[in-house]
Amino acid sequence: MTILLQALLNGLVSGALLAVPAIGFTAMFAVLRFPNFSVSGVATLGAFAGYVAYAAGLQIIGSLAVAFAIAGAVGLFLDRTAHMPLVKQGALPAAIASIASGLVLENVVRLLFGNELRGYDRPIARDLRIGDIRFSPQQLETMAIALAIMLAVFAALAFTRIGKSMRASADNPELAALKGIRPQRVAMMASFVGMGLVGMGGMLLGLDSSIDPLTGTRILLSIFAAAVLGGLGSAPGAVLGAFLIGIAEEAAVLAVGSAYRAAVGFFAILIVLSLRPRGLLGERAF
Amino acid sequence: MNRLAIGRRAALLSGVAAVANPSVLRAQADPIKIATLTPLTGAGGPYGPVMAKVAAAVVEEVNAAGGVLGRKVQLVSEDDQTNPDAGVRAARKLIDVDKVSAIMGTWASAVTTAVAPLCWESKTFLCTVSGADSITLLPHQGYLVRTQPNTLLQVTRAGEFLLSLGAKKTYTLVPQTPFAQRSIEILAEVSKKAGGSHGSQIYDDKKTTYRTEIDQALRFGPDAIFCAGYTPDTIVLLKDLYRAGYKGKILGQAYAVNQKLVDQIGQNEVVEGVYTFAPSVAEGSTALERVKKMSGLASPDPYTSQVYDHTNMVLMAMAVAKATTGTAIKDNIRKITQGGGKPVDNAVDGLKAIAAGEKVDYAGASGPCDFDDKGDILDCKFRYEQIKAGKATLVKVA
Repeated sequence: MTILLQALLNGLVSGALLAVPAIGFTAMFAVLRFPNFSVSGVATLGAFAGYVAYAAGLQIIGSLAVAFAIAGAVGLFLDRTAHMPLVKQGALPAAIASIASGLVLENVVRLLFGNELRGYDRPIARDLRIGDIRFSPQQLETMAIALAIMLAVFAALAFTRIGKSMRASADNPELAALKGIRPQRVAMMASFVGMGLVGMGGMLLGLDSSIDPLTGTRILLSIFAAAVLGGLGSAPGAVLGAFLIGIAEEAAVLAVGSAYRAAVGFFAILIVLSLRPRGLLGERAF
Repeated sequence: MNRLAIGRRAALLSGVAAVANPSVLRAQADPIKIATLTPLTGAGGPYGPVMAKVAAAVVEEVNAAGGVLGRKVQLVSEDDQTNPDAGVRAARKLIDVDKVSAIMGTWASAVTTAVAPLCWESKTFLCTVSGADSITLLPHQGYLVRTQPNTLLQVTRAGEFLLSLGAKKTYTLVPQTPFAQRSIEILAEVSKKAGGSHGSQIYDDKKTTYRTEIDQALRFGPDAIFCAGYTPDTIVLLKDLYRAGYKGKILGQAYAVNQKLVDQIGQNEVVEGVYTFAPSVAEGSTALERVKKMSGLASPDPYTSQVYDHTNMVLMAMAVAKATTGTAIKDNIRKITQGGGKPVDNAVDGLKAIAAGEKVDYAGASGPCDFDDKGDILDCKFRYEQIKAGKATLVKVA
């Protein structure tokens, strides 16, 4: 029983970290209508941008802001130059182009930083215990940051002008355009914010372990699975999906062994696509 | 990529000469091509570059002394990225484009397993430093030798070492690799024979945290944990073991628990007391002294020493065979490594003796380099170390 509770807690922590890039991924899908797989490269870029900022003396929050800005800017640039011109021909060409630009980004990071592993220079502390359940104060801190980011995103979607216009465009682009919402602007905003979130996600995941050029590629499947599970295009769905995937991945360690962890993501996608293609919460953007 | 360049003029000249007088001159002008395929990047990145450097130094020395069978030797170096896909691409290039007769220094077992079939099918000789038992069991028809002790020898010694430390309940944490299952079986057998018990887990080496895996392992209540992964995953494991408050013993492969890992973790108490083991280099041998000079390292790692041996053995086998093909190396390598003769520790001396019609017996920097029929080495010593205050300190060589 204890071990199950512990796995649940571990799953919630990794789910919270996964949720940030998953929201970014799904928000971009909602507005731009193609799965942007360059999130693998952008997450890596964000992790390294945050790493440089942190090493330069910025605190975690400041470093996250740097990760957000750089990942957002590069993501926006890629969308404008490489992906969006292809969307007119359908989602598939754009998706394939995004796989390519993810690879390019990964290798640019490799060129700049090398293949070495790097770790954020944070002290490693023993876990705290309540009964038999243990948790690390740092992980809780990272989780709290992730939750705060999610709250901020939802607040922005609900209350700000740009958030509302993003939701409107996602729901019905033509109607939104008739109402005077400029689709170009909304699309650019979605790219920037979505990729910024992905960059922060890369950094949050790297904070506790270590980063290398493959950081983003390792989490790509989990991000995609979380978004599909919750319903592609739905931000609350992505959060729900991320928590479920996080918990399922940890529970899989107990049930079938850690070597099969990657199968969890594929399995979740398979089940959802065959039983409920819309995903758990459907496609509504909010 | 790092190849010994031939000047354009020289290439042009040799081309003209070859056309003018094909058979004789071509034999003298064409260099003998051999290759290193070492990990310049990835988990093996700390070892590959210096391995390639030492192989190049051996080739340079031999060329300075007149080459092999009157021909210069050309070394081509490629990067396997510690990755089977990249390793296969590089091997294809070495075999199909460069047409090398031997590939030396493949490091990770998964890379060697992927590259080996290309080698035996093209009759290219492969010298490896990988340990997985399964490698020499492949149908390699003799086109493969390894200077690294196999998993059976390594894990048996690791298990005996843990027993000597008083560990009765042992636990293996190993990523999905060609040696995973064998490592578990062997350590279980060693522990049980001594009246102890053993638990194990194969993990996914791409995870960013191993909290649940560690919980699972600690439920077994081990006195000692054998972490059999590579550096990137072992960093995460050791951090999580520390966080979980594990106070028992930890043993890791020295190729994973190295200075890079200690620097990466950056906090000495996390790695304090961790034991490491590795096949020992031939301490005190003259060959090792030569490797120290060539590599510029005060204590060369086993892989660098092994690739020094590979290069010397391959070149001497060609000389004995009076031919430079992979098959010639295969049929003659044991003639220069075992069965008595003039003891030599480098190819330059060996080539002279062979030219004088003497039989040689090579003993290298990694050990005696005697091989059984499968291509495994017959004997090897191990070096055990413990990390204290962020530095590896010698426990014993046995």
